[in-house]
Amino acid sequence: MELLPQYLANGLVTGSFYALSALGLTLILGLMRVVNFAHGELYMLGGVMGWWATTRLGLDFFTGLVLVAVVMGAFGWLVDRFLIERIRHQGEEPGILLTIGLSIFLANTALLAVGTAPLKVEAPISAGPMFLGPVVLTKLRVFAVLVCALLIVAAWLVIHKTRLGRAMRATFQDPMAAQLAGVRTANVYAATFAMGTVIASMAGMLLGSIYSAQVAIGGLVSMKAFVVVILGGMGSFAGAVAGGLLLGVVEALWGGYVATGWVDIIGFALVILTLVFRPYGLFSKRAERA
Amino acid sequence: MRFEKHCLWGLMALAALLPLLVRDQYVLHIAIMVLFYAVLASSLNLVVGYVGEFSLGHTAFLGTGAYTAAILSTQYGWPMWATVPAAGLLAMLVGVVIGGITLRLQGPFFVIVTLSFAEVLRLAADNWIALTNGPMGIAGVPQPALLAEAGNLDAKQFYYTVAWLLLALTLYLSFRFVYSNAGRAAVAVRENRYVAQSIGIQPLHYSMLALVLGALLSGMAGGFYAHYISFVGPEVFRFAFMVSMIIMVLVGGKGTLVGPLIGALLVTFLEEYLREAKELRLSIFGLAVIAIVLFLPRGLMGFVVQWRASRRADAPKVAVAPSQPERRAA
Repeated sequence: MELLPQYLANGLVTGSFYALSALGLTLILGLMRVVNFAHGELYMLGGVMGWWATTRLGLDFFTGLVLVAVVMGAFGWLVDRFLIERIRHQGEEPGILLTIGLSIFLANTALLAVGTAPLKVEAPISAGPMFLGPVVLTKLRVFAVLVCALLIVAAWLVIHKTRLGRAMRATFQDPMAAQLAGVRTANVYAATFAMGTVIASMAGMLLGSIYSAQVAIGGLVSMKAFVVVILGGMGSFAGAVAGGLLLGVVEALWGGYVATGWVDIIGFALVILTLVFRPYGLFSKRAERA
Repeated sequence: MRFEKHCLWGLMALAALLPLLVRDQYVLHIAIMVLFYAVLASSLNLVVGYVGEFSLGHTAFLGTGAYTAAILSTQYGWPMWATVPAAGLLAMLVGVVIGGITLRLQGPFFVIVTLSFAEVLRLAADNWIALTNGPMGIAGVPQPALLAEAGNLDAKQFYYTVAWLLLALTLYLSFRFVYSNAGRAAVAVRENRYVAQSIGIQPLHYSMLALVLGALLSGMAGGFYAHYISFVGPEVFRFAFMVSMIIMVLVGGKGTLVGPLIGALLVTFLEEYLREAKELRLSIFGLAVIAIVLFLPRGLMGFVVQWRASRRADAPKVAVAPSQPERRAA
């Protein structure tokens, strides 16, 4: 029992990482209704580019992060305008197949470019330990949690406090009405997809400095992100954060007290139970557009 | 209906002739894989094409079948003619459980919860070492006694025959299902759930029937796979398998019986052919998938059906109503 605070702390740290890596998906899946199987690959590209920027270009971490955000934002914009736009409003099947194709392409092309070895993104601060009462964490992780929180708040502010955010909310409530009111919905869709891509890639770079950036990580990230989004309820920001934290804590406790081998099963079991008993997610109301 | 029936007869007759003409083991192996994938794609098509829900959990049934056959034959010494039907039956049971839970959901929720089931089973296969031997998998699934003295070529021909019979059974059952009242009811649900309900069709009932039938068939395919490859590992639950199946169904044309066969043929050959391109293979494959979604949204058979319909209605230029109207994301 004396390990409980440590497990909880580890769970919350991992959970905030889950939340951040799912945040981009909650925009793309929750709002745009694109079941984006390339999400993990966008995350992976962020990590790989972060490695390239920090070690090959010799940039410092934050400049690298900005560079990654800009490049991936443009990439996301283009993907939406040239691919997703053509299958918009056709149900989820074409979107699933398209993003599966995209993920196969991105993962294998990245594999050709940088190989399978784990790539270390240069971290901005040292990895020394930090003692908080009975709990030990590395400085790097605490720093990463802070950056996570910052990014989540920033994304929330963009959606709720800016003109673009208002256009987004209008578009996803009623595209036709938004268009009539003068919103260029095509740009709003592209901006949303780009924003989801930026958040995913920043998550990839940030977590690449703690774990490592790996080309083959995409599938796993996508799965965890789906789990978090379903747990939290589609398109709900607070839900994604809560779902991420919940998943992190439950996994940490399960791994600590029950069995480490079965940890990954937790998320899927939670998803199945959630959808059986609360089909619209743990934290969203029935008013969600089904 | 008649066109489809003739196509199926023709394709199956051609397939039956193949082992008489070809003595090359490599070609036979590819042909067996085509038949195997055709069974899988057809069974998936029952759910994707006729119920209209996008299942990503079909590997759950395939894997259950493969593990059932492997365990029954290695640990209990069951012969192949018993393990394959048993594999189908167990997969059917899994189908009842999974269907009962998932078919109440629609859209993205259905997609992700079916995927979750496949992942849960994969993780169970990975970790339940006492039963499944974990990541090592179950090797040395015995071959039928019949093949004890037969050469490699004879063994291939035997498996080809089994796969052909399995595909024939699949097509027969699918055909009977699709052109029965139950199949038409399922299509009604696919086209418009609310209208179907208003005329007394219970969506859950018919989608369940399609899913369970699909589960039975893919479970038997899994059992066949276990004996043919003689090794079963957690990879059978992998998403990659699912991706191949989905692509086959959609390339060929979902909601048609011939489509998945053509899809299986094309994709298996494309995958083999792209081996020439070595490392670039999967990148090209990904691009091909994207291109298909953009340029051939209703699959090859959808294209053919549309062409035939437009030829028939040639004199008065009538726009062909798409058989499946675009479902607006509500």
